[in-house]
Amino acid sequence: MRHYENLVIVKPTLTAEEIQANIQAIEDIITSNGGEIATTNPMGMRKLAYPINKNERGYYHVIYYSVAPSAITEIERRFRINEELLRFVTIKYDTNREIAAWNHLVSKAKKAAEAPAKTEAPVAKEEAPEAEVPATEAPATEEAAAE
Amino acid sequence: MSEKRKYKKRYCKYCESKVDFMDYKDAGSLRFSLSERYKIMPRRLTGNCKRHQDMITIVIKRARAAALVPYTVTRKTVVSAPFENLR
Repeated sequence: MRHYENLVIVKPTLTAEEIQANIQAIEDIITSNGGEIATTNPMGMRKLAYPINKNERGYYHVIYYSVAPSAITEIERRFRINEELLRFVTIKYDTNREIAAWNHLVSKAKKAAEAPAKTEAPVAKEEAPEAEVPATEAPATEEAAAE
Repeated sequence: MSEKRKYKKRYCKYCESKVDFMDYKDAGSLRFSLSERYKIMPRRLTGNCKRHQDMITIVIKRARAAALVPYTVTRKTVVSAPFENLR
């Protein structure tokens, strides 16, 4: 079993129920291939950095799970068949350091899920607790660019 | 070092804050290593060490694939205030 993370972008043209049904189907694909979903993190509707298939927005959803490495090809094949999926990104967490980071991300996502009342707008508020962890919140000194 | 240094001494900001892992979903934290046209800044300008530069390039490319950060900014898509969506 290896730790993985999948980010999926669902089409924005669907209704809220259809989006939830699609995400449920995606999670079913993972579990039916022997995966154990640790937690999920709905990032919500966001503007895409560039249009994908003429869509300007997309519904982001992140799934943390662990599965045998051989099952990943099958999971990705099933993802490609789904036409409501604009994009998916699969990340492998392999080394000890990455696994520690994975555990950290999972616990953070769980904490965010337990306090849904406060984080009604997940996109905007999730930035705040994330700031201390992954990278320097560089105070935007553009001196390097101004060379 | 008899010669005078021409540039300010560079240091790696990620080493200083002891960054071990970067999350591609946290697009705001990638701003430091991106130019205003969303190109990856070279090491000679940011002062990043080799290890962290390797990490940040992987993370930026992941974020591009996930449509969190654009690949290119052309004349058509250029915006007056870059990075406003990354906050």
